[in-house]
Amino acid sequence: MKRIASIVLLLCGTLAQAQESASAYTVAELLAASSPQDSRSKDWKPGDGIALEVSGMEWIGPDRLAVAIRKGEVWFLDGVLGDPSAVKYHLFASGLHEPLGLLRDGDDLLVAQRAEITRLRDTDRDGVADEYLTACDGWTVTGNYHAYTYGPERDGQGNLWGTLNLGMGELADNAKGWHGWGGIIGKGGRFEPKSLGMRSPSGLGANLAGDMFFTDQQGTWVPATPVYHLRPGVFYGNQESLGSLDLPEAPFHLTNLPKPNQPYPDALAEAPQFVPPAVWLPYNKMGRSATDIQVIDQGGKFGPFDGQLLVGEFTNSAVSRVFLEKVGGEYQGACFPFLDGFPAAVVRLAFAPDGSLFVGMTNRGWSSLGNRSYGLSRVRFTGATPFAIREMRAKADGFELVFTEPIDSATLDGALAMSAFTYQYSSAYGGDEIDTTELKIVSATPSPDGLSMRLVVEGLRPFYVHELRTTGLKSKTGRTLDFPNAWYTLNRIPE
Amino acid sequence: MLSPWLTTVPLHSAPHVTGYERFHAESPTAEGGAILFSELGCANCHGGSAVTVPRKGPKLVDLSQRIDRDWLAAFLRDPDSGHEGSTMPAMFHGLADEDLDAVLAYLGTLGKGLKLGTPRHANAERGSALYHEKGCIACHAPTPDFHPPHGGGETQVSPLVITHPDLAAKTSLLALAHFLEAPSRYRTDGRMPHFVLDTQESLDIASHLLDYQSSDPRDAKPVAPWPKADAAVVAKGKELVANMNCAACHAIEGQKAAPVVALSGSPKGEGHCLSSDPKAGLPAYDLDEGQRASLLAFLAGDRPTEDRDGGLTLAAMNCYACHDRDGIGGSTAETNPFFIGDEALGDSGRLAPPLTGIGYKLQRGWLEGVLTGAEGSRARPYVKTQMPLYAAHAPALAEWLERIDAPPDAKLLVERKEDLEAGRKLLGILGGTNCITCHTWDGQRSIGIQALDLASLDRRLRPEWFRDYLLDPASYRPGTLMPPLWPGGQSTVPDVLGGDTERQIAAIWSFIREGEGLPEGFPDHGSGQFEIVPTDRPVIQRTFFEGTGTKAILVGFPGGVSLAYDGLGARPVLVWRGPFFDAYHTWFSRHAPFEKPLGGDLSAIPETGAETGRRFRGYRLDEAGNPTFLFTDGDREVSERFAVEDGKLVRTLSWTEGSAPAVAHPDGVAVESTGEGKSLTFIYSWK
Repeated sequence: MKRIASIVLLLCGTLAQAQESASAYTVAELLAASSPQDSRSKDWKPGDGIALEVSGMEWIGPDRLAVAIRKGEVWFLDGVLGDPSAVKYHLFASGLHEPLGLLRDGDDLLVAQRAEITRLRDTDRDGVADEYLTACDGWTVTGNYHAYTYGPERDGQGNLWGTLNLGMGELADNAKGWHGWGGIIGKGGRFEPKSLGMRSPSGLGANLAGDMFFTDQQGTWVPATPVYHLRPGVFYGNQESLGSLDLPEAPFHLTNLPKPNQPYPDALAEAPQFVPPAVWLPYNKMGRSATDIQVIDQGGKFGPFDGQLLVGEFTNSAVSRVFLEKVGGEYQGACFPFLDGFPAAVVRLAFAPDGSLFVGMTNRGWSSLGNRSYGLSRVRFTGATPFAIREMRAKADGFELVFTEPIDSATLDGALAMSAFTYQYSSAYGGDEIDTTELKIVSATPSPDGLSMRLVVEGLRPFYVHELRTTGLKSKTGRTLDFPNAWYTLNRIPE
Repeated sequence: MLSPWLTTVPLHSAPHVTGYERFHAESPTAEGGAILFSELGCANCHGGSAVTVPRKGPKLVDLSQRIDRDWLAAFLRDPDSGHEGSTMPAMFHGLADEDLDAVLAYLGTLGKGLKLGTPRHANAERGSALYHEKGCIACHAPTPDFHPPHGGGETQVSPLVITHPDLAAKTSLLALAHFLEAPSRYRTDGRMPHFVLDTQESLDIASHLLDYQSSDPRDAKPVAPWPKADAAVVAKGKELVANMNCAACHAIEGQKAAPVVALSGSPKGEGHCLSSDPKAGLPAYDLDEGQRASLLAFLAGDRPTEDRDGGLTLAAMNCYACHDRDGIGGSTAETNPFFIGDEALGDSGRLAPPLTGIGYKLQRGWLEGVLTGAEGSRARPYVKTQMPLYAAHAPALAEWLERIDAPPDAKLLVERKEDLEAGRKLLGILGGTNCITCHTWDGQRSIGIQALDLASLDRRLRPEWFRDYLLDPASYRPGTLMPPLWPGGQSTVPDVLGGDTERQIAAIWSFIREGEGLPEGFPDHGSGQFEIVPTDRPVIQRTFFEGTGTKAILVGFPGGVSLAYDGLGARPVLVWRGPFFDAYHTWFSRHAPFEKPLGGDLSAIPETGAETGRRFRGYRLDEAGNPTFLFTDGDREVSERFAVEDGKLVRTLSWTEGSAPAVAHPDGVAVESTGEGKSLTFIYSWK
């Protein structure tokens, strides 16, 4: 019974904090599910009924947002920066097969469908697409529902990346055709596979350096939510994707396959191409299923987190925050809870030209804490500084924390604790934190201005998630942290 | 041919009791001893077992039709050599061969002449699939060449498995099939439980176990006839069986167990059952040191008279092979990959449910129904592993579990009549808690994953448990995909019943119990609500389509002519008249099953054989919305426009170079063709 009680307390705590952080950010609902009416009427617009199940978003004008919905349509929303009730909806493209990504390319839009990425063109400029051209194909489409296609997203070199979900259940055949792979739109519009070992890579996004990242979802072979650096020639661990290595087009081969049923650090040591997530988002503590990735590049208009990644969270209807740094040439970093309480599962994120964040949602096929089945919300920064751990950086002997506001060193006594854990590398559906060890914080020294703090920690463990827990830590103005905990994935310890 | 079951058998091994080996073999404890005391049959002579269902040997009947006499003779002389790890003790030490012959002669007379059926077909391969899927491997070894569908299973065979004897030497194909069809005919103690198998399934599994490769079961060797024995020998055998008190463990017609000889304290003197050399007439077990120490610890201590937490009974009956209770048991690393089901539901879609607090969770009547196999008692159709039946012991087990699991302070669920409709809303997807997104309702498919049916919960669950579960699903079902919908006890839908968590949960229960109709927003599948009816312009929709494939592009023209174009082969595949199609699955179903044409007047378009090398490049729409499909064929570009004029389908092909592409026409339609240069037009019309 003890255990149940502590879970309840933890959850209460989270709700309370969300309310506090609302002062830095306000959330406005543009639209959320109301009634399930037929949407085939010519006069139907999202908001009348079914279903602005947002599966792709792209800003295509100063006040115009293009939205792909899972039913198979692309809508243009005009006036979304103004009064939500005055937004104008207009159907641009229809008849698509479960689109799950949308990207502007010159005057065209690229949209991922199950069987291809399609270029939508409006050649007569009447506001409705009249060409649906195949921009990329070349993967097997088995007819299995779970074999989704995501993308495209553009990296700093201009490559257009996409990812292919693993099939699951009836008709699934992952032994061929690039399921569980990521790749780019190659020459002649052929899918060019680049790396493998994914399960359900439903979100992609580049950081400010132009490097591409993707999220995967807890499930078979995936113990908790990972955020990975997407790049050629690596293996992300899910062995259900290995079949395509036998195809003549396979871009590389695995020299070594990690053996399952051992801790992640041991499995990683066995196979050089097997790479760890840049960041683990621990299950339940940070959410349950990550979706989109969106870098913050708003020159402070969205608060003090520029350069960091926002990650959508499906089940908890939330948005998480990820800080990354490069250590030994590889990305790693920390994750922090950020926003929650959205009306449905958060699937897509996009920044508006004015620096506000648009959050696209759909519960389709799953359930979330949001009790509406879909929606579109807008998050605005109020200008009030949130009190948060802005950055958590690895050091040779510990960590450096950077705060958004000076901390009160008088509240430091007994305020910090740290433990480290990892996961089992296994084919199981999700996995527990294992080998959890409490680490000793030898010293915690704030900088003179109180904006950062050095932690010296005994017993840092490479490849382990380092969980930082704070209690009662206050800012100089007497505020408590919006979210007390952070998780750093310490793949490499800096020299 | 060597049976796949033959492994190296050590000359002698200790009796194998899985529940003891798995949880108690490492260090001797009285609890381990209590399990052995039951499972080695000690309690059958001495009484005093705390295990809820007593361990018995097989019923001794129809042996001469089912069991090979030579095998049985060897087994009785030395049970371990006939069946490695057998819990049958050696009883014939100190007896002459002719005594054993007399016992066999008597055993051969028991029964009324069983007639085995004469089935016509056997399929060992299907039997293998059933054996590995139904749950046999929870206790027995998988065959080395069988690979579970999603990997795993290549690890070593667990030392916990209950080995099979050399079945080919022991029995025959038909006798084994007869046994498997209803093990409870012979095994009354549920240790080999009763699986619901029909005659064919039993025969197929028997074929697999015997590695019987012929498909005609009538070719299989029957059990060799037992020799006739004269009455005096039979009478002597009967007397020996009575003297040895075989009826203490085995049901034998005409024989009764001797009165129980209760034990107090540790055994004393020499030649007792636990000594290394028991006296003639006493059972001789080949116990290992840990087993002996465990039994001695059990005998020396305060012996429990009842299984208060379930640990003894669940270990004894090996319920732990599949089920976890209080963090103990459940599948092992070796058996886990063989549990299969609906992967979309995560591990709870394939593994057996935990038994933690099961007597509190389930209503007693339902629990009894699960154990007897009452109609509708399988709540999880997606789990392939079958819960076996324990019909004879169901009332006792259900009563016992209810008693030991009763929580001291269960909080009552207070229902209010006026909240019934709020229950409908809460179960639904329009401002409710979205239960029906994942859960089926009275057999109707849900919107997303197809999780446990909600409509029958009121017949299964106790309302108090339901309430506790909803407040924190993961603490009751670790690993469940079910999110906590009242996190921290707080409602996520504050505008229903004032956000009162207790009232909301009670309202959901009320609606499940007595609500009529469907939860709010449950999709009504049957009405064709999502039939697409093209009116003023053609409607195009991509989908998975039967007969066309996974990149089907459907075009419905106003007036009732429709076309399915295959975007992989770059060709039209089907034309039909009548209604277009219903897009429900394409638009709203997570499982995305293939759609079908609604109209009945179908005309298939055959392949020309010239499609290889074509590459689909998309389509264009003209002002009226008619599509022109584009593909490349080698170096040339080809376009193919479709439109409907005066009820006729007009197909126009244009190409950039070379001769005309090969064209096939829809079956059963009239074709007119016109064209010149690099363009051809075909007009299809119906009578």
